[in-house]
Amino acid sequence: MAGRDSNRYWKNLEERNAGEESSARVENEFPDSLEFGAEPIARREFLKAAGFAFAGAVLTGCQRAPVEKAIPYLVKPEEIIPGRPYFYASTCGGCSAGCGLLVKNRDGRPIKLEGNPEHPLSRGGLCAVGQASILGLYDSRRILHPLREGKEATWEQVDREITDKLEQIRREGGAVRVLSDSISSPTLLAALEAFLERFPNARHIVYDPLSGSAILDAYEQTHGVRLLPRFRFDRAEVVVSLDADFLGTWISPVEYTAGSRAARSLEGNPPRFSYHAQFESRLSLTGSKADQRIRIAPQQLGLVATHLARELASKAGVPIENEGIQEPPVPARVLQEIAQRLWEARGRSLVVCGSQDIATQVLCNFLNHLLDSYGSTIDLEFPSNQRRGKDRELQSLLKELQERKIAALFIAGVNPVYDLPEGGQLASLLRQVSLVVSLDGKRNETTELAPYVCPNPHSLESWGDQEPVNGIVSLMQPCIQPLGNTRALLESLAAWMGTPKPAYDILRENWQARIFPRQTREISFQAFWDHAVHDGFVELDKTPPVAVRTFAMGSVHPILSAKILAEDEFALVLYPKVGILDGRHADNPWLQELPDPITKVTWDNYACLSPAAATALGVGDGDVVRLVPGNDPTGLELPVVVQPGQHDQVVAVALGYGSKATERFAGMGPQWWERKPTVGETGRVGVSAAPLLRFADGALQYGQAPVKLQPAGKHLALAATQTHHRIEVPHHLATPGTERRPVIQETSLQAYLEDVSSGKQWEEMEHEDLWPPDHLYTGRRWAMVIDLNACTGCSACVIACQAENNVPVVGKDEVRRRRAMHWLRLDRYYAGDGADVEVAHQPMLCQHCENAPCETVCPVLATVHSAEGLSQQIYNRCVGTRYCANNCPYKVRRFNWFDYPHEDRLENMALNPDVTVRSRGVMEKCSFCVQRIQEAKIEAKRNGAPLRDGDAQTACQQSCPARAIVFGDMNDPNSLVSQLLRSPRRYHVLEELNVRPSIAYLRLVRHRVEETEEEHHG
Amino acid sequence: MSSRVVTVVLGVGLAYTVVFFGRSVSPRFPGNQQSYEPVQPIAYSHRLHAQELQIGCLYCHFGAEKSRHAGIPPASVCMNCHRFVIASLGAIRAEHELAQRASRQPQTVVSPELRKLYEAMGLNSKLQPDPSQPMNPLAWVQVHKLPDFVYFDHRAHGNAGVECQRCHGPVETMERVRQVEDLSMGWCVNCHRQVNQTGIAGKPVEASLDCDTCHH
Amino acid sequence: MASAASSLRTPLIEGAKTPAQVTRDICAVLDRKPTWVWWTGFLCACAALVVGAAAVTYQIAVGIGTWGLNNTVGWAFDITNFVFWIGIGHAGTLISAILFLLRQPWRTSVNRSAEAMTIFAVICAGLFPVIHMGRPWLAYWMIPYPNTRGSLWINFRSPLIWDFFAILTYFTISLLFWYLGMVPDLATIRDRTPPGLRRRFLGILSLGWDGSARTWLHYETVYKMLAGLATPLVVSVHTIVSWDFATSVIPGWHTTILPPYFVAGAIFSGMAMVLTLTIVARKAMGLEQYITRQHIDKMCKVALATGCMLGLAYVTEFFTALYSGNQYEQFVFLNRALGPLSWSYWIMVVCNVGISQLLWFRKVRTNPAAVFVIAILINVGMWFERFVIIVTSLHRDYLPSNWASYVPTSIEVATLVGSFGLFFTCFFLFCRFVPVIAISEVKGVLSVGRKRTVFPLTIAETPAESAQAVLEEKGVPV
Repeated sequence: MAGRDSNRYWKNLEERNAGEESSARVENEFPDSLEFGAEPIARREFLKAAGFAFAGAVLTGCQRAPVEKAIPYLVKPEEIIPGRPYFYASTCGGCSAGCGLLVKNRDGRPIKLEGNPEHPLSRGGLCAVGQASILGLYDSRRILHPLREGKEATWEQVDREITDKLEQIRREGGAVRVLSDSISSPTLLAALEAFLERFPNARHIVYDPLSGSAILDAYEQTHGVRLLPRFRFDRAEVVVSLDADFLGTWISPVEYTAGSRAARSLEGNPPRFSYHAQFESRLSLTGSKADQRIRIAPQQLGLVATHLARELASKAGVPIENEGIQEPPVPARVLQEIAQRLWEARGRSLVVCGSQDIATQVLCNFLNHLLDSYGSTIDLEFPSNQRRGKDRELQSLLKELQERKIAALFIAGVNPVYDLPEGGQLASLLRQVSLVVSLDGKRNETTELAPYVCPNPHSLESWGDQEPVNGIVSLMQPCIQPLGNTRALLESLAAWMGTPKPAYDILRENWQARIFPRQTREISFQAFWDHAVHDGFVELDKTPPVAVRTFAMGSVHPILSAKILAEDEFALVLYPKVGILDGRHADNPWLQELPDPITKVTWDNYACLSPAAATALGVGDGDVVRLVPGNDPTGLELPVVVQPGQHDQVVAVALGYGSKATERFAGMGPQWWERKPTVGETGRVGVSAAPLLRFADGALQYGQAPVKLQPAGKHLALAATQTHHRIEVPHHLATPGTERRPVIQETSLQAYLEDVSSGKQWEEMEHEDLWPPDHLYTGRRWAMVIDLNACTGCSACVIACQAENNVPVVGKDEVRRRRAMHWLRLDRYYAGDGADVEVAHQPMLCQHCENAPCETVCPVLATVHSAEGLSQQIYNRCVGTRYCANNCPYKVRRFNWFDYPHEDRLENMALNPDVTVRSRGVMEKCSFCVQRIQEAKIEAKRNGAPLRDGDAQTACQQSCPARAIVFGDMNDPNSLVSQLLRSPRRYHVLEELNVRPSIAYLRLVRHRVEETEEEHHG
Repeated sequence: MSSRVVTVVLGVGLAYTVVFFGRSVSPRFPGNQQSYEPVQPIAYSHRLHAQELQIGCLYCHFGAEKSRHAGIPPASVCMNCHRFVIASLGAIRAEHELAQRASRQPQTVVSPELRKLYEAMGLNSKLQPDPSQPMNPLAWVQVHKLPDFVYFDHRAHGNAGVECQRCHGPVETMERVRQVEDLSMGWCVNCHRQVNQTGIAGKPVEASLDCDTCHH
Repeated sequence: MASAASSLRTPLIEGAKTPAQVTRDICAVLDRKPTWVWWTGFLCACAALVVGAAAVTYQIAVGIGTWGLNNTVGWAFDITNFVFWIGIGHAGTLISAILFLLRQPWRTSVNRSAEAMTIFAVICAGLFPVIHMGRPWLAYWMIPYPNTRGSLWINFRSPLIWDFFAILTYFTISLLFWYLGMVPDLATIRDRTPPGLRRRFLGILSLGWDGSARTWLHYETVYKMLAGLATPLVVSVHTIVSWDFATSVIPGWHTTILPPYFVAGAIFSGMAMVLTLTIVARKAMGLEQYITRQHIDKMCKVALATGCMLGLAYVTEFFTALYSGNQYEQFVFLNRALGPLSWSYWIMVVCNVGISQLLWFRKVRTNPAAVFVIAILINVGMWFERFVIIVTSLHRDYLPSNWASYVPTSIEVATLVGSFGLFFTCFFLFCRFVPVIAISEVKGVLSVGRKRTVFPLTIAETPAESAQAVLEEKGVPV
């Protein structure tokens, strides 16, 4: 279908559908020559007639394929050439991190989002959420018209009523509140300001469902300014993270991943290879990459910080009171050793803290202060705007609501009814507010309630800007005609202020007035603007630095003790998943089916328990437990996932599930009589953990509340894409010494520095072949290198691949049956015993073997080797014997067990027209993005230039924030890929089979704790 | 009516069928569209434009050198000329003669086929843009069709110096476009094999024989 | 034909039959109306067939997803059944071809039904490679034919293609062999049937057989030649089937022992199936005197022999795996015996190697009931052998992240049932319309003309009478 679409040009949906009705002309291909007289037809005649008619039918029947219409433009837009992709620089609206985008457009519609390599923050990376956010654009269920009392209305009507009410409120001096998540857009902030100052009592209240409020409050105390600093992981050589999942979900993961990647590479001599210690209660993505991971209960975080502070303070000779401090929850030696490392790397070290406890955050600042991180690894002058939420204000707002002091409430970009613990009562409170306007483009709990919904268009449909970090403003530009009758927030505000204006003008004016003066490079605004639109961002060199007070020692107070939980109590930890985050994209099937990088479970949230805790409770994977918070008897019922490496007194539950938006998945997946639904009994995916959140000491708390667990005696089959988690095979099934499989090869930094080839598990030998080589590779030979060191398992590549290659979503039941379709999967292996595990992530995709086992066995030559080393899979030739999949040692081939639905016409617009949509019964697999290779080759030919290294990039490579994937021509000795192939860390998975994969992996290198001990003792 | 008569009638009927769909009698596999010649919404003559007026293919099908698709020209491209050329010279002369005889002002003649174009563009009788009239795009019938799983790229072929006629046949001689080649995979592949030996216009080329050149 | 009328051993055919009697006895089944036994059996078989047909239709309409397969386990019931049925077929060819060339007169009573079984089994087997395809309607792409794809041929390196040809050949030869062997008997029936459509029809089928010495001569020659052709197939077909696995890279599949292992297994299972069928048939159709305990005994011996070979193969597999020092191989075999699917492995071992050892005892061998039970168990065991080889090797191969389990769906089970339905439907029809015992050949091994038979051939008409005659001759007062 993608194919046909790309053969037919259309200007809008109507036209596109118009082409659909297939012809009437096939009918009258029959001759009308079977006329008889009036008298009845004798049997023989009839038979004869039938016979002839049949003959005619045979001749004409298989005559013509149905007619297809080709509808060209009447007047073609200047820049568009049908079938030719265009890239527009823009900014990602997936979350508040503000990563740079390159939007790939085909025939007037975006089909793929890619990272903008020039962007100073994301540096070309784009996370899974960003990649998937394009589906939101083509979401046929989103709100495409203004709503009034839930019914479709016109903008005039809605605007009139709103402005009238506002006018009245203004006269009465009623309180107007705008509730939103962190908005970093200077233009929008200016507009809001202008809008609000027209009212005597108006405030803009910001909260983030994944709040960082405590950090900002802490800086207000220690440095006098409420700000979120910019963490420079790229400058840090020793990173200590106190429960901050900065590689996965914390504030700006792509930026931080790129940063820590830069600071953790083995190139250069001696290599600049940062050390990373993680204190955490559950196993997070960041923890899985840490050199040293210390399991602590969430409530012990402050105590650990205190002890670190003590250690460092004594080194720095700064006195802090330390009477009656409880013993550290971890061996003092560990803390001393970490403190030592931090101290040695003074000025090049960084401590980050994900806690929502302000005192702990203050201590964290104190640590950084002692380590002179400010100005080096922490930038306070040009702070970040990625989190601006102030939970205190949110609380006060709720109070006001309860006291019915609010006259008008505008809600933008957040879903408080779902996000907040008080969601339930909030619903009733909102009904009492005279004017509630939701500016959200998605149907959710809040838009349900709001009498007025003025839908915001998707970020790919409208003009806008963001300033994620002071001095770096990145621009959003529309890449498609708005699909509905939506209106940008900017325009709505303008309309209600009585000065309706298109967003473009508002933006431009604001830039001229406020942004342009903040830079010196360009003289003319037009040039500046064009430059910005072209690049997608501007760096403003004349941005005034924020003036902060010097560190206020007075604010530092050691935390004396950590709450001790009773035997049967568990500390609750509510965490965001990499794909789902706070649930704002819970309606996105790609993200729902994206396996969690650690648990590998899809389509559900669950209660993570440590193996010890699970055995104590007598539950295993999938057994349902009831979480009962201390205060109220009602609890949540969740299936258990046994999570090695988690603290024994912690139960971790993911946020963002069980929202109304997931009701759409009721009919998800192939329909057949043994199928099971994708949604649970509630009709939703997972269970909402928001009721377990709570406000405490001025911040939204994601943990600590002690809960009791009761097995509910039920079992719920979880849909996991990996069910054997360890790199070792079960011991009773292996001959001694062969438990561990040489799939992941790793070594310690120490060993690596002594011998670069350390950790090698299989001696590569040059095989003598009896036969002359099958493949000569006279021209190019495509190859890929994946650096296990850089790979964090963030799963951006998985979604990038899915978006690029039209990989279908199959639904929970199919995933449970181990039929997930992702071409690229991330294998996650645990090593070591259940308590403390070492984790390795391994992207696994078709290895494009030179001696491909799949190719020899296909009876119909549907999979064959290309002259450039690709193992090609030809869908239209495949008959589906699945022999190739059986014979693939890596099991990376994916079979279309059913016809996966593509009924949603709007959603189909996200399909890549350069990739066939596979039908039922054919095999598919990674193609090394051959369509991109073709495009690059043909373009190079067209421009008469040779194909340069990096011209052809695979989707996974393009999106990887850590630059872990490198693809290129290994016949070109200078290409990056062949340089990496010469690396001593290079190894092939299952080398011993002599299938000769085109994908090589670079060995994993870690700082090892035991060796550091040796360092200290001698 | 005797059975022999019926036989004859039916025989004729069958013969008629055979002749009418003559081409389908020649051994051909289902899906083979060779010599498909559909009627188009506007009786556009390639013979006139490409042969007599010597307009190059790429003037209208400009996509061919830049994009995967050669594309069917937007109506605006037609208007480049037909803003001025609105009827055949003959028709205009005739009108003028009539006018002289009837000693009246000759009125503007618009060729009925071009009229369709103007209507599509939403022009009024004065050939001026008329907002009241709807713009309704022309739905041409696609002649050269490939299955959805085949990705043919005009760029690659055009830039390699393959002339359009190689695949599309002598379009410049056709009043109505007809599919000349059978566009089967064998036909493509054999040409690729051949040019790898002979080269194109003396220039050596390497035409890929890999499956994923067209199937991905 | 070689006469087995030696005075030393007990005659193969009991009850001192005359040729006329033989004809009468065997044709009696065809003449009389079908018994309730037949009807019940036939209807059950049909029911099973219908179930299977429905399952297959549903699966083709909806997709292979209706089977319990997944990305790790791409084959399970489908190919298991395929190999199982092909295996069943082998005994037939062995009995009819090899034993013929080895001049084993006892084969004559069972070869007809055994060959029939072969053909039906191959039909069942041939079904699965087609329906297990994702797009069965394109199955004809397996055939090399000139096409407009310039030209795109099939992959002659693929064992599946070898399979395709092997089975086609096998089916053709078996069919010919069966039919040819039947010609004289068809002629016999023809001569017994009153003139009419049926007789005409039989006349065509029996290719105008006239029973002249000349005809017999030609017949014997062709039969010998076909036997010669069929003999290598006994070995080749299952060898090629085993290559589907042996040529792959999957530990547990990739072993050189597979071909002999498969052939032995095939004959083993085949013999078991022949026993199952004949033991029922002889009882139901009152042919105890033709298919005697002697026959059963002999077939049991063959089964025992092949069973022991199989046992050896199992042991050897383990040894080679451990000896190879290849961790993947070692794991696969330990996983078979101790892993999550070990139950299937132990069913296989117990049924194939364990139970079959009972056949060492003459008492067991000559007790049809016991043999019947054992034969059934052997069939079960052999089905599980294929299941073990296919599924346990696939479900845990190289990368631990791929490890998955496999659970069959109702559709798969129904399909298996259906294949049995098809098999037995065919077999019941065969019993009705074709002499289940090769009349002409049995006559060849009668003890006719031996001195001890004093009574005139005309006395004894029915089996009872002839028995009485024997008694009288022994001087027992009646």
